Amino acid sequence: MAANLEEFLLSPAVWQPQSSGAAVRLKHALGPLGVYTAGSTLLRTQWEAGGGKLPTHLIDLTAIPGLDRIAVQNGELIIGATARLNDCSSHPVVMERAPLLADAIRQIAGWSVRNQATLGGNAASRVGDAVPALLALDACLVWHDGEKQYTEHIAEWLSVQNWPGMLEWVETRDTIGLRLLTSIRIPLPDEYTTKQTRRWFAYHKAGRREAFMPSLVTAAVAAEVGEDGAFADIRITAGGGRTVPLRLTEAERLLRGRRPEAAALRQVHEAVREQYVPEPDPFATDDYRKLTLANLIAAELWKRK
Amino acid sequence: MIDKLAAKQADAKLQCEINGSPVTLETPPTRKLLQILRDDLGLTGTKRSCEIGRCGACMVLIDGKPVNSCLTMAYQCTGKSITTIEGLAPEGGLHPVQQCFLEEGGYQCGYCTPGMIVSVTSLLERSPKPSMEEIEEALSGNLCRCTGYGGILRSISRAIERGGMAHEG
Amino acid sequence: MALNRETSGNRWRIRPDGPGKVTGGLAYLTDLSAPNMLHGLVLRSPHAHARIAEVRTEEALALPGVHAVLTHADVPGLNRFGIAHPDHPVFCEERVRFVGDAVAAVAADSAELAMEALARIEVDYEYLPVVSDPELAMREDAPQLHERGNIQHRNDYVRGDVEAAFAASAHIVEDTYETPRQMHTYMETEGGLFVPEADGRLTVYSATQHGLMDRMQLARILARPEADIRIVSSPIGGSFGGKDELNVQPYGALLALACGRPVKLHNNRFESVRAGLKRHPMRITMKTGVDAGGKLLAHRVRIVSDAGPYSTLSAEVLNFAVEHTLGAYRYEAVEVRSFCVFTNNGMSGEFRGFGGNQALFALEGQLDRLADKLGIDPWELRRRNLRQRGDPGPFEQPIAQTDGARQVWEALPASRLWLERAEAAAAAEAAPAAPTASAAPAAPLGMTPDADLRSASSGTAEAATLQLPWLKIGYGASFVMHGAGLGVGIPDPAGGRLTLAPDGKIEAAFGYEEFGQGLIASLEQMLIEKFGFAGSDLRLVVGDTDAVPDSGSSTASRATSMMWQALERMREPFAHSLLQVASRVLVLPKERLRIGEGGVCDAASGERLLAYRELAQSAAEPIACETSFSYPASPVERVGAHYLYTYCSVGVKVEVNTLTGRVRVLDQFHAVAAGPVVNPQGFLGQIEGGASMALGFTLTEDAVMNSGMYLTRNLDSYLVPTIAEQRGRVEVLPIEELPDGDAHGPRGIGEVGSVGLAPAIAQAVFNAVGKRVSKLPIDPAELQEVPDIVKEGSCPV
Repeated sequence: MAANLEEFLLSPAVWQPQSSGAAVRLKHALGPLGVYTAGSTLLRTQWEAGGGKLPTHLIDLTAIPGLDRIAVQNGELIIGATARLNDCSSHPVVMERAPLLADAIRQIAGWSVRNQATLGGNAASRVGDAVPALLALDACLVWHDGEKQYTEHIAEWLSVQNWPGMLEWVETRDTIGLRLLTSIRIPLPDEYTTKQTRRWFAYHKAGRREAFMPSLVTAAVAAEVGEDGAFADIRITAGGGRTVPLRLTEAERLLRGRRPEAAALRQVHEAVREQYVPEPDPFATDDYRKLTLANLIAAELWKRK
Repeated sequence: MIDKLAAKQADAKLQCEINGSPVTLETPPTRKLLQILRDDLGLTGTKRSCEIGRCGACMVLIDGKPVNSCLTMAYQCTGKSITTIEGLAPEGGLHPVQQCFLEEGGYQCGYCTPGMIVSVTSLLERSPKPSMEEIEEALSGNLCRCTGYGGILRSISRAIERGGMAHEG
Repeated sequence: MALNRETSGNRWRIRPDGPGKVTGGLAYLTDLSAPNMLHGLVLRSPHAHARIAEVRTEEALALPGVHAVLTHADVPGLNRFGIAHPDHPVFCEERVRFVGDAVAAVAADSAELAMEALARIEVDYEYLPVVSDPELAMREDAPQLHERGNIQHRNDYVRGDVEAAFAASAHIVEDTYETPRQMHTYMETEGGLFVPEADGRLTVYSATQHGLMDRMQLARILARPEADIRIVSSPIGGSFGGKDELNVQPYGALLALACGRPVKLHNNRFESVRAGLKRHPMRITMKTGVDAGGKLLAHRVRIVSDAGPYSTLSAEVLNFAVEHTLGAYRYEAVEVRSFCVFTNNGMSGEFRGFGGNQALFALEGQLDRLADKLGIDPWELRRRNLRQRGDPGPFEQPIAQTDGARQVWEALPASRLWLERAEAAAAAEAAPAAPTASAAPAAPLGMTPDADLRSASSGTAEAATLQLPWLKIGYGASFVMHGAGLGVGIPDPAGGRLTLAPDGKIEAAFGYEEFGQGLIASLEQMLIEKFGFAGSDLRLVVGDTDAVPDSGSSTASRATSMMWQALERMREPFAHSLLQVASRVLVLPKERLRIGEGGVCDAASGERLLAYRELAQSAAEPIACETSFSYPASPVERVGAHYLYTYCSVGVKVEVNTLTGRVRVLDQFHAVAAGPVVNPQGFLGQIEGGASMALGFTLTEDAVMNSGMYLTRNLDSYLVPTIAEQRGRVEVLPIEELPDGDAHGPRGIGEVGSVGLAPAIAQAVFNAVGKRVSKLPIDPAELQEVPDIVKEGSCPV
């Protein structure tokens, strides 16, 4: 016998729903006593830090068949929420058509953790390091509320104030329920490159060490450059630590239709420092993180001119 | 009410393969694989260190992929094939990577070594001639406090040089 | 000759403990279990400073499966431990003084039940004000943590008239240097198995660096004779000084004896961070003056060291720091005032380098600042003030004289790294505006198997630097003189024993522990090389107080030196004893025989004549030889003064990314004058490993505390170097020459690699970006800049 009777009685039940709808209905039934878990890497870390106390019920999302599928459909890259991070970043379509996401994923944690952790788990925390890349790629989130699936743009989801945390409560007029992230949809442009436009992507993560560390600052850039060298379109997003990722709209506005010349870079640098308000971190000041972000973005633009 | 949802519950019985042998164990589904290996099965080659997946001392292979056994629970191992440091080499022999670590002195206290060798073996299977960047990517989650990674890099270089993961003898 | 496998030839051996380590077959003390075993856990204070009003254990005891709940009332002997000053309560009585202080301990059927039992122990605390600033703690109106006050130790050293010397100085620099609360971060945490034996003795399987000291301390706590206790203390998954002091042993021992059953404890990392020792954070203010020619005249030092709430070896660390703030240089006048202060912060204690790391960061920083003011090369400034052979030590005490200082000083400019630096400087002067071709490394690549991997990576960095204007390269160097042994005033015994065992094995027994430093491999190497035994002839016995003589502790870079000394002393007598018996058995004159592999051999032909097993069986009584002596000490009274020193020069090349302010180390050179290399693989590993700890000390490591609470609770926020931090090359050059007649043998090298890198990096950073750092780990915010590409009036390239 591996463990004694007390441990069996004290340890959580693990539920393995066979569909997204079943998972959400189960969560409804269990309320706060039930916790969704996918790769469980983040949750296990939190449980250890809290003295090893586990919740009463775990709802194992990896049991849902097909929820880890990565596919292209109707010009969209669809990544199931329980797709493992390494499977995402090494998937040929992700590498070729959404390299920004692949780059972001490869800087999350370490190799072995990425074999276990899922994209949905990283995204659902709202402050996962993949989220700035998803935002820059104009991703949509697909939710299941127990009855049906529906789509929400990631920017909308991120903009909600007073966000309650890991549990995703949705208040409707009649009921209070919970919804489950089932997949992430990323639009793929018709032509990856055309004669008129050139696309480039860049992702940066800065922390207190060279590898495998929490982010202090993350930055993602998705750019379309015209023949004349000016930006036809550009999306710049930022996150870091507990900061909810945002689009740096001022910097984007300053660049649209312009080339990344010295004056533009100067203005962008200032705008980034202005617009980025990081969630305070015990190990680095806000000023340091703002300047780091502005520097990384300006340097990236300078490299690409 | 929960029954009506017809939701399946994970077994209190773990059935999997460890180092090539079938294993059946009565265990709470959330028991850590690290604990199962060390305390229930006596396979103490896999080590306990940070227990939050940051150091790699607990590294094992699950279906051939490196995974932190401190982050893995029993219910996640059902039907899987698990390889620990004890199962890396053929009976009585040494895996070529182990041999390289011995010759180059890729260890000092040795506590990080089982996890390190598991990760290195997996890396070389995926990529027989990795660049320094690939090595860093594969091993940034395997901390060593003794060597400064010098002996480890020498061992990896030697293993790359020798090429091939075919077992010797 | 650079130290590596090729240049070491057949002296590069596979460690005897290697196979167990690479297969996972080696059982560490925390891997052990026993039938009928219980699990132990310690209840520690959640508060940094509080009075204990009451402790209630009834609820915990009532839980089925809980076999013992202990508090201070259950300590039969002295409720205190501490190697030098036992002032640390095993279980707190009326006060807790830091978040690792123990209040109770339980033993239960399982780890989960033990946790449940801990949760049921009720403790009523009354908050007390937290003393977290050592400077404030020194004030008279600060809350007093002990009856003796808050000053744990003071050490003053004054020589000459420092004010007059300042008055005569042409240049003076003053700065305050701060060093971090560094954590040992051994991969194996504290723990062990505690077994009450049928004969009434207690066997303790738990890591330490001094088994006999643990035995003494436990005997005192348990009120039992030392002979009743056996300490098995090897092998260990890393220690670096952190496991020398007691940690789980009092609890394991008390629980095992209370229950009459084996008890296992194994700290998880959260508990290890909370309760374990750290390097003493120090604040060192130095004011140093030179004459116009660069000769050091005046040197004033003030050290404040944060001890945490109890003594352990804090006074000894402070004494060591005092000596090393003087170091290898000659001064007209010096004044050092130092304070070690009790606080409610985490416990500070023994840590590789032992105060030298902190002292040298400050001292070398001063030399670099002075060189800048004088406008001369920093390495030249070292030369003008470096001790000469024949000079006394830092406290003017007699020391063993070698040319080590001069030798390592000369080695740096001759190194590949420094020649590259000179080439890069020359190229930059010749054509400052245009990007230069990358300076090709002078030494052939591929000398070591990893050279291509690591230099390819550095090459990428080189190429990147030339294109990216925000990456700045700099070079820096430092000079190290580091004392080994415990110093004057502390018992520093050494010794060992050789025996021809009845089974024919040559048994070498030393009272040391193997915690990765390669002690066992070095012992094997020395036995093979000094006597001519084969590895398979040997049985190496360490880490068992029932089986070993008193060799002193495995600390202070002393163990390998003392093993060498002991074997030197035993070589003739032991060989003589073996050959004498062999001579009788073989009926051959002793002169025709010699010690060989597998047995006694013909001195001329090498043919084996008598296997050791047969020799053992023929001997009337066991053939054994034992020696006992002390580590050489300086004949002075100054406590802590050392006698044997190791000298190092360290060169480093760094890259500063001014976008983020982060520093990367690209290339390192270490010249180490420590006498003969005993074990090449071990020597290289110790320097590389020590340097890696120094890298963390300089760039990423700090166990951050706030009002006595740890903010960095595990390895997700306490950041030690990963392999990605170490992509640069490391070259180690041992300098083995010793003066004729030097009988002290190899000097210690276990610590010295960790001592010199920090100031070298600081100087390299200054060289790269013109900024001085005085606080470690380096705050990237200090080095971060708004890049030129966004500055007004900048030209896009």
